[in-house]
Amino acid sequence: MFGNTSSSQPTVGFGGSGALSHTYIQYPPLRCRNDGSRGLFYDDGNKLLISPTSDKVVSWKTSPFTPDVAPTTDTISEGPVLSVRYSLDAKIIAVQRSNHEVQFWVRETGDTFSQKCRSESGSILGFFWTDCAVCDIVFVKTSGLDLYTYVPELKSLDLVETKKMNVSWYIYTHESRLIVIASGMQCKSFTGYQLSSAGIIRLPRFEMAMAKSDANSKPVLAAEDVHIVTVYGRIYCLQVDRVAMLLHSYRFYRDAVIQQGSLPVYSSKIAVSVVDNVLLVHQVDAKVVILYDIFADSRTPVSAPLPLLIRGLPRTSISSSQSSRKDAESSETTLLTDTASHLYSDDWNFLVPCLVCDVSTGFLWKIHLDLEAISASSSEVPSVLEFLQRRKLEAKKAKQLCLELARSLIIERRPLPMVFRAIEVLVNSFSYSLKTGSYSKGGKSEKHTVPGVSENSVGTSTSDNISGADASGKSIKTEPTSGVDRRTVHNSGFSTSDSEDNANFKKAKAKFFDINSSSGNIDRETSVGAVASRIGDHSMASESQLHDNQPLNANVSEQQDSEVTSAAIPPDELYNFVFASVEEEMIADASYLFAIIVEFIRSANLEKIKLHPNIYVMAVRLLGRNERYAELGQFILNKIIEPSKEVALQLLETGRQNIQTRKLGLDMLRQLQLHHDYVVLLVQDGCYLEALRYARKNKVNSVRPALFLEAAYASNDPQRLAAVLRFFRDFIPGFGTTSEHSTYIRALADMHSSIAV
Amino acid sequence: MVMVVAKSKETEAVWRIEALRSVLKEVHSLFVMFHGSIRPMLDKEPGGGLIRSHLYTFVMDYLSDFLMGNKFLLPNFRDSLKERGTVQMLTVGREAAIEVQSLVGALDSCMGNTLGYSMILFQDLLVSTTLTPDDTVNLFSYGILRLTPRVLSSGGSTWSYLRKGNASSHTEPGSLFANTGSAFDQGFRDASSVGGDNYRIVRPLQHGKWSRGKDGFLVTDIWGVEVGNLVPTTPTIWLQQTEHKMYLCAYQHKSLTIILLIPVTSMLNGEEGISMLKQQLLENASAKIFKVEEKLAKGWGGENAYHVKGYRYLLVDGDRNISRASPAGKVTTLTKESLLALNKVREDVDLERNRAKGDCVDPEKDLEICIRAKNNAWVIARATRGKELYIVLEKANETLLYASEAVEKFSDRYCNGAFSLD
Repeated sequence: MFGNTSSSQPTVGFGGSGALSHTYIQYPPLRCRNDGSRGLFYDDGNKLLISPTSDKVVSWKTSPFTPDVAPTTDTISEGPVLSVRYSLDAKIIAVQRSNHEVQFWVRETGDTFSQKCRSESGSILGFFWTDCAVCDIVFVKTSGLDLYTYVPELKSLDLVETKKMNVSWYIYTHESRLIVIASGMQCKSFTGYQLSSAGIIRLPRFEMAMAKSDANSKPVLAAEDVHIVTVYGRIYCLQVDRVAMLLHSYRFYRDAVIQQGSLPVYSSKIAVSVVDNVLLVHQVDAKVVILYDIFADSRTPVSAPLPLLIRGLPRTSISSSQSSRKDAESSETTLLTDTASHLYSDDWNFLVPCLVCDVSTGFLWKIHLDLEAISASSSEVPSVLEFLQRRKLEAKKAKQLCLELARSLIIERRPLPMVFRAIEVLVNSFSYSLKTGSYSKGGKSEKHTVPGVSENSVGTSTSDNISGADASGKSIKTEPTSGVDRRTVHNSGFSTSDSEDNANFKKAKAKFFDINSSSGNIDRETSVGAVASRIGDHSMASESQLHDNQPLNANVSEQQDSEVTSAAIPPDELYNFVFASVEEEMIADASYLFAIIVEFIRSANLEKIKLHPNIYVMAVRLLGRNERYAELGQFILNKIIEPSKEVALQLLETGRQNIQTRKLGLDMLRQLQLHHDYVVLLVQDGCYLEALRYARKNKVNSVRPALFLEAAYASNDPQRLAAVLRFFRDFIPGFGTTSEHSTYIRALADMHSSIAV
Repeated sequence: MVMVVAKSKETEAVWRIEALRSVLKEVHSLFVMFHGSIRPMLDKEPGGGLIRSHLYTFVMDYLSDFLMGNKFLLPNFRDSLKERGTVQMLTVGREAAIEVQSLVGALDSCMGNTLGYSMILFQDLLVSTTLTPDDTVNLFSYGILRLTPRVLSSGGSTWSYLRKGNASSHTEPGSLFANTGSAFDQGFRDASSVGGDNYRIVRPLQHGKWSRGKDGFLVTDIWGVEVGNLVPTTPTIWLQQTEHKMYLCAYQHKSLTIILLIPVTSMLNGEEGISMLKQQLLENASAKIFKVEEKLAKGWGGENAYHVKGYRYLLVDGDRNISRASPAGKVTTLTKESLLALNKVREDVDLERNRAKGDCVDPEKDLEICIRAKNNAWVIARATRGKELYIVLEKANETLLYASEAVEKFSDRYCNGAFSLD
């Protein structure tokens, strides 16, 4: 064991992906540590981890997640820092200095200004930037919300609107654009607003259920017990009921909040993450994760509770051969040694949607799903396939896993009904992806958005309106829903009777922020998760780019990875990687494989997916192998096996053992009007005259007379040869003068003489 | 086997030898299917009592189907547009066909690894089979005779290509052949008691012995009843080619009849295994069965679905033992002259075919006969590569060209151009 570690390469802590865990964090983490740090803040609007010091703001980009990302440093004036957030265009830094003051820095010019609130109007609980059409920044105060726009010319904020209410605490995620405000003695009455580009949507008030330990107790709901999660473009609110040990879920609709049922919890402290639309419920006390895929309103976990794994952790024993550089890191390594024991420590902060920050060490981890482990953990393959097909983040891997699962299903000769269901899942998923356009355009639509975004970011820096408009125009094309949203912005210009110039300004702004406008829109009852999720994905992708001021190439690697944007498997690949690859091994069990192919054809037919002739050729081959010729006839006559040249040739091949099957092949060639092949085959069968008649009728000129003549000569039947010769003399002008003619005339004469003898 | 047919002066008694021969062939194949080959039976009891008693009851039961009222009618010239010993297929669209095959797959998986076979009928038409063509023909004939919903709801008004109206008019063989039968029966009973062997005769063709049970499976006590629990014994048949003994298990849902054949050797626990299999079928396949039935019923064109206006035809695919013909109701509109002419033409074709077989020259020689009958009807026969087509055109133009074009048109439309002369 020790010998292994002598290399300076970090070795994998646990042997790859075992069934030990379904989620993992990958070493090395992003180290967010600087001297004099006054705590860590997460700016989810820009996906920045921010660590302010007395006079600096150091920030790390967390999306895309790369451990060696260089921090950006901005200088600010000294003072207390209660919270920090960059504006969404990253031009302004806002720092909350006290309960009454937020200070702003314009990064380009270094200009600064601050916004103070009168103390009698309540203290500031927090603030966030928004891409809402009405305002740029929202202050959340104990007395309600203050909505401001930023006026760059005046370097000040302009109060647009105030929403008065009592606020005990609030939670906001940029992902959902949703703020949920708790009020009341027990903090269980909620008001919500979604600040999307379409405007501000006020959610109906709702109460959260809380079990009481005894009749008189009045438990108070804490902010850390409520989570907003966005999965498949839907917004849910999860609430931990510590007494009942349940995690209640509520789904937000435009006009209603509906409780969706509850999940059991096994820990008083619960954290949630969302990775690739999978809900991870961390049972912090028990140090395990339970995965839920709440796509189909199913409350059953994807898998059993399992711990989180750290991958790629270097061995603690550092060999002497290691460089001094390593020594410098040794203190950190010791920190790492007990990272394993640090899992779910009190210092762990879970950040939306899938990051974990250990504030004691300053390590930022990203949580990943181990698709391999998940797929290996269940024998219920069809549901695993369904799960994998919904994965977008590691679509390529999910697809690969699906293919392998399907393959092993067949090789292991699992019960047919299960295989059938698996095939159905894959075919339906592909058809679905075709319908939603995520497959056919797959890579393309992604690329569509990207240039739009890049143009847009160019547009922002040069404040070029045209390119901005162009970009939004593109976003209309790719995302109809957002287009509609945008148009309403344009046309109605918000029913607030604003002055013209103000509206103009907003218009420009709307253009700018438009692309991620619809992300996490509170979806309407009618909009099926599908559309929503797609839009969510698109805008998320664009979002991540929009806020990177870095040129696109920073993203290149991820971009290439995501070229496979969907785990959907087209039928050709299913054929190549599953059916064709198992055929050899299934020789002994051809009927089993055949039954699966029939089911595949059925599923494809139901979804109106056209199949490649290969699959039909294989069906013919399998039936032929089992000598099920009568059934083969039925399949051909009923056109279950669609006619094609490939199939016809396979029929002829299979027909070597069975004359009826050969006839089917011939008939198919004729019906497909493959005249040349048909005529050649007729000649092979010795039907010269028929072939000639056919050739004449269908004007087949590609067959040389010599072919007929040779065949007729080989048959050693002078009558035939004579008939063929006569035919050509009659129907091909000038044939009588060719050398062929004279050759065969002589041959004919020889034949006659030999017969006479 | 020999068939002796009384020659009579009756005008109706115009036969085609080949048609009579096929009756003989059919009764023989059915006998072999139910009782196995004749030779082993003879070997078993060289005295012949066993085989004689079996043959007697079987043939009598079979012949009872040819009784119309109290007249005994063998297939004559009026049946020239029928072909005994072939199956009639239901034409289905691709989608329905796929559903059917999916059902076949489900049936297969119900039977597990037993190498069983399935056959699906809709009304009196074959939908699907996994049997060899010969076994298919035999089982199909039996199905049409005794198992289809039309037969079971005996006296049902509906139709069949081959045996319209026959089912309702059956008479117990004993009563009609009383003069010979009862005496023979007597003798047989004596023999059995004397022999002490006590073999009971299974009479698979007995009328009115099948019925549909509550669970949808067809039951009969022809094969006896298990002692003790009164459960009827599952029928068994022999496959022609492989000579495997198979359990026969039939299930019916509305117009759909499903026949499963399961090797006896694979059912170690006999009846118990069969009832388990039935249970499995009900659990795993019934949804599919319902779906298929619904789909087929929806697409089913009815009694005259395969009628082609202006044509009276018979299409025989010798390779697959399939035939299709004008519906019986339409054939009856033909005049006697046309039918007699057709009968003659068919005899000639039969002769030609047999001669070809005898001479061992290409038995699939192309052939075309076109005659104009006394009543100015066209009677046309065409044979090409194992397929035969007979057409009677009564109200046709008088030119040969017209008749030939009419055939061409028919061939292109309904036979995928198989008879369009190249």
